[in-house]
Amino acid sequence: MENGQPAAILEVRDLKKYFPMTRGLLRRVVGQVKAVDGVSFSVPKGKTLGLVGESGCGKTTTGHCLMGGIEPTGGEILFHDKERGPINLVGVDKATRHHVRRNMQMIFQDPNASLNPRMTLLEIVGEPLIVNKVARGKEVEDRVARLLRLVGLSPDYMRRFPHAFSGGQRQRIVIARALALNPEFIVADEPVSALDVSIQAQTLNLLQDLQEQFHLSYLFIAHDLSVVEHVSDAVAVMYVGKLVEMAEAEELYLSPKHPYTEALLSGVPRPDPDAEKKRITLTGEVPSPANPPSGCYFHPRCQYAQGICAQETPALREVTPGHFAACHFADTLTLRGVD
Amino acid sequence: MPENNTLLEVNNLETHFFMREGIVRAVDGVSFTVARGRTLGLLGESGCGKSVTGFSILRLVRSPGKIVNGEILLHKAGANGNQVTNLVTLPPTGEEIRQIRGADIAMVFQEPMTSLDPVYTVGDQIMEAIIYHQQVSKREARERAIEILRRVNMPNPEQIVDRYPHQLSGGMRQRAMIAMALSCRPRLLIADEPTTALDVTTEAQILELMNELKREMNMSMLFITHNLGVIAEMADDVIVMYLGKVVEQADVRSLFHQPKHPYTQALLQSTPKIGRKSRARLQSIEGMVPPAHSIPSGCPFHPRCPAFMPGVCDVTRPELRETGAGHRVSCFLYEQADTTPVPNPAPSYRRNA
Repeated sequence: MENGQPAAILEVRDLKKYFPMTRGLLRRVVGQVKAVDGVSFSVPKGKTLGLVGESGCGKTTTGHCLMGGIEPTGGEILFHDKERGPINLVGVDKATRHHVRRNMQMIFQDPNASLNPRMTLLEIVGEPLIVNKVARGKEVEDRVARLLRLVGLSPDYMRRFPHAFSGGQRQRIVIARALALNPEFIVADEPVSALDVSIQAQTLNLLQDLQEQFHLSYLFIAHDLSVVEHVSDAVAVMYVGKLVEMAEAEELYLSPKHPYTEALLSGVPRPDPDAEKKRITLTGEVPSPANPPSGCYFHPRCQYAQGICAQETPALREVTPGHFAACHFADTLTLRGVD
Repeated sequence: MPENNTLLEVNNLETHFFMREGIVRAVDGVSFTVARGRTLGLLGESGCGKSVTGFSILRLVRSPGKIVNGEILLHKAGANGNQVTNLVTLPPTGEEIRQIRGADIAMVFQEPMTSLDPVYTVGDQIMEAIIYHQQVSKREARERAIEILRRVNMPNPEQIVDRYPHQLSGGMRQRAMIAMALSCRPRLLIADEPTTALDVTTEAQILELMNELKREMNMSMLFITHNLGVIAEMADDVIVMYLGKVVEQADVRSLFHQPKHPYTQALLQSTPKIGRKSRARLQSIEGMVPPAHSIPSGCPFHPRCPAFMPGVCDVTRPELRETGAGHRVSCFLYEQADTTPVPNPAPSYRRNA
């Protein structure tokens, strides 16, 4: 899968996660919630793939599958380890998982929920170093001091507890912890959505600086399309467990090929009072993955839908070089991007 | 200001919270007016006092918070001319303010799940307001509740009316909240971050709906948000708050095209704009909002301000001054404006630009 592109650090092929629905005393399985349903993408080394979608579309489940927090139902997750080459993380044994996890870290949405209030910064950021036997004793302190400085916090605060810090600073602590083991790949799940506008900018800048400095690769999961555009090299759009479109960020934003992407882009309120309002207001709501519509999942809300859309599920295919879309009419529709 | 066009006038409002750590001046001398049929946007980051301002108007501030100064004047066009009620003087649990809440001024909150009662059906909650304010029978109240649910584009209103909040999706709950707020045709709707908890496509639906209903009912809105995009879309006039004070006030176009206060400028520059792909660093505001009980001396923004002038900004508090038609800003960079108006001040003061 090289073809001139920078080598991938992570390749996901046909990833599936179904949650069973049970009923009754015997917990009979009566159906499947297809939270993630055949998702494929790859993250090139040193680049950022943005994953956008509305709540319940499966973007966070995808992230957790990559990190091993949830065991996928099917598919492949190939992580290109610098020592051992490609490793398939689906159904991997514990020792290998442990090895890979050093190179993959996660940044969570809510820094309040992901920091233990009874641990000091030294314990929080130092824990991965001790658990993985990377450092001990005084060395831990030195490493933690360096990590805190890296994210713009003073090492003097090392013995304080998370409650002494503001939301933005707490998110920096989470980032410092994620960087402790020099990972190559980071899953950032809504890393800035709990932060204020001015703090959001600081955090995005920090993530970008760290990426350059350490050649990090990010999977950036978010619902804010402007933030995703700002940080991502490529963007994938998810709807009810499936990818509906994927392309280079600029290409996707300027000329979307899936009607859902078009509607999403048109729905973002612009910070410009003179912006022309040609909004596509979708009717109805995102369907539940427990009971999705037939054919293309988007067809009941799609203004371009035709007969075939209710019957056949469109596959994600390459419409123009590097631009993938799952729409029967991706070649013929002229959709409006942001301008 | 033409008197008969004003709906709500807030003069020098001060709402303080008396905490162990000291007095938190959540709202510290805020003045503004909401004109009939217009939307005033209230923009600011968390902790700037924007929500407390909304709660103060409805007299919903709870202990240890207290309105310590100022007036909130509600103008009512009655049969015998213009009646003015000062809401600050009303007892917060009295009959008078209860008559105003819901009927004249209604509020939509950010989190629909925490502001709807989980043990009553949506219909019961909407009917409660209708029955309280409009002396109608239960049957008629129910019909009106269905009608207003239909008006907010709720699918199957006849069935939804008997549902409990947990049976509805986030967007539907927010529609139910809006329906409840609008059920007595208020003249002022205070919307406190009504779309922050919603998804992009649902947010678009709700914003559009609110604008439509505002036009239809000739209602005024006080729209509280931190989101610049939402402000640009909804507001006619905007006030920007920082640490309990208004730092800038203008009509929406001047604010976005000629922001004057360094804080407003920084806010605008630190937001990533869609459709402007650049991997350039965002302009960020240094530091963070200081804790509310230890507000810096002088201009509260001075420790983070790129245009900080030592000896001026950290000593005296700038006044809110008019720098152009309807454009007011509290910053010493524009202080000379009241003697010699400065046309288009060049942004050369930005040190780290």
